[in-house]
Amino acid sequence: MASSSASTAAPAAPNSLSLPPSQFARLQPHAYLLAHLSPPSSSNQPSIRANGRAPSQFRVTSANAGSLTHTNGSAVVRLGDTTAVCGVRAEILHTDDIASWSVSQSTNANKRRRIGESEKETEAKDEEDRAHIEDLNLLVPNISLSTGCAPGFIPSAPPSALAQSLSHQILSLLHTSRLVQAEDLRIWYQPPNLGPEEAQQHNDEEQMDLDAGANEEETKPAEIKAFWVLYIDIMLISLAGNPFDAAWASVLAALRDTKLPKAWWDVDNESILCSDDVKESQKLSLRGLPISSSFCVFEADAAAGWRAVVIPDAEEQKVQDSKHGSQQQKWILADPDGYEEGLVQERVYLVVDKEEGKTVIVKMEKLGGWTVDSEDLRQLVDISAQRWDEMKRILDQC
Amino acid sequence: MNDRRRVNGPPGGTRPPVYASLLQSGTGADTRAQRQRQPSDLRKIFLKTGLIPSASGSSYLEFEPSASLAAARSNPKSLIPPSSALKLACTVHGPKPLPRSAPFSPNLVLTTHVKYAPFAARRRKGHVRDSSERDLGVHLETALRGAIIAERWPKSGLDITVTILEAEDDRWWGDVPDSHDASWGMMNVLAGCISAASAAIADAHIDSEHRSIVSACVVAYMPARDEITELWLKGDSSKVSTADGDQRSGHEALIDGAVDAARGAHTVLAEAVRESLQKTLGQS
Repeated sequence: MASSSASTAAPAAPNSLSLPPSQFARLQPHAYLLAHLSPPSSSNQPSIRANGRAPSQFRVTSANAGSLTHTNGSAVVRLGDTTAVCGVRAEILHTDDIASWSVSQSTNANKRRRIGESEKETEAKDEEDRAHIEDLNLLVPNISLSTGCAPGFIPSAPPSALAQSLSHQILSLLHTSRLVQAEDLRIWYQPPNLGPEEAQQHNDEEQMDLDAGANEEETKPAEIKAFWVLYIDIMLISLAGNPFDAAWASVLAALRDTKLPKAWWDVDNESILCSDDVKESQKLSLRGLPISSSFCVFEADAAAGWRAVVIPDAEEQKVQDSKHGSQQQKWILADPDGYEEGLVQERVYLVVDKEEGKTVIVKMEKLGGWTVDSEDLRQLVDISAQRWDEMKRILDQC
Repeated sequence: MNDRRRVNGPPGGTRPPVYASLLQSGTGADTRAQRQRQPSDLRKIFLKTGLIPSASGSSYLEFEPSASLAAARSNPKSLIPPSSALKLACTVHGPKPLPRSAPFSPNLVLTTHVKYAPFAARRRKGHVRDSSERDLGVHLETALRGAIIAERWPKSGLDITVTILEAEDDRWWGDVPDSHDASWGMMNVLAGCISAASAAIADAHIDSEHRSIVSACVVAYMPARDEITELWLKGDSSKVSTADGDQRSGHEALIDGAVDAARGAHTVLAEAVRESLQKTLGQS
């Protein structure tokens, strides 16, 4: 009896100890990813991520623009299993509704008069563009994660910390990259230059005082009557890692798709009117094409970072490490999915643009650790530059 | 009050653009799109399940754009869309254990959320759920409650979230004299919500009594049991008839028509669920 039970137990034992890969991945996520990235040298397998990608490989990306009816511009971007839908709605902000408008206008005019010189003119103009877009809040991006995109987010709750930080990252990137030109958002009004007789008539009829008639000779300067405000709303339909890249790509594609109707100040109605003719509408002219790429750093020993003594001089630390041969093994993974994001501390966000073949870094953000050094960052910029080419092709097609 | 957790627009508020052509013609009624379908014709539905891997079930539903919208898309002339088509995404999370703080429940606790995207409708919607969205959520819950065997999952919760990416218009946007302030579009939206939610539930492999609850105009209908789980009537239906020489009274004609439409939607739903099931079977 005993021998028979032992014989039946023996073949069962290895079965009970070996787990199917999916369960192993859940129980020991770190070891699972590590086993994929550092296969035993005898097996002759390449180092590959658990999702089958090479470390610097991005997920399959697709974009589709202009499918939503009630928007000025819209786009759907799928980055693997992460899906972001972005809609841009334009509304009008009258200068009458801006509390400090008349004050800020007069001080600006004074400033311009004081500076005067031509080389400073462009600088002043840039400053004015920045002031208009940033101080008047003409770009209003909001990202919503309460769409049931992942189990952790409660749909009825206010925006989570992640949603808030993503909204602000997108807002600050829109501001620093100066993607949208302020000129596109201004609605000008050129007051009609009344002829002398007409003006005379006016004067007679309305008993206007003398100084109003004095400057009738010079053409009145055009004035800004209103601004377009772009409400950029991003619904993250599905979240499987790397929400920032997907959200930013959808914002970019939607802004490229955005058409603003022709608008003018109507004196009779004392309001802004728009033309619904598609031929008269204008696309936004965007500055450049900043593409974001995110990376995460996976370390072989997850707890090493916590045990290490922080030495202010990183170079010294490196020399020490190489002496002891205790260099922490690490992999930099591009476009992390949800599974990988849960296993890493250190993240790198890069936004690059290309101007005439030269790569320009628009934004660089690194947080959560100290394993990525300047050499690594240089390589990441190269990878991001390659990604830029790929994304440009995808966005041009949509 | 300012919402500090979101990026707010200009504090003075903004106004939607006013189109000059509408001011001139007054109503825009001359360009108003006419219905091209027969009264009993159904629109084509695109329904796909299993698009969101992190959810236990999900679906995406889209109505075929009307003839006027399709024409406007292929040959754009005006920035004002003649009509819009319904597009919505639905996710199901669960059944999952209720939080410890929740009181004991012998049945499955069903929670439904319906939210319009800010850009879904002709008027921009806010980020915070308004009364019509909460209303839709309650209607959706009653419609689905009858279809799920709640006793099978004690102490569990099921979250159903519907995101409306594009809604149908409540009514014609011009000030046509015969238009009312009733929000008819909401009913279509609800119908879509119910269809999408049932597809998502089936995708999540949650046993509903009959894996086939479907919706129609305002009727949620289970064909296998010939039972209506949700009925929502609005307006004056006394003069309604779907066919000439119809002897039935207004209500009956309307409901019968809706049930017919539900059967139509059911075939699409069954096909979509079958398709996704075959795909999962093929994978495993």
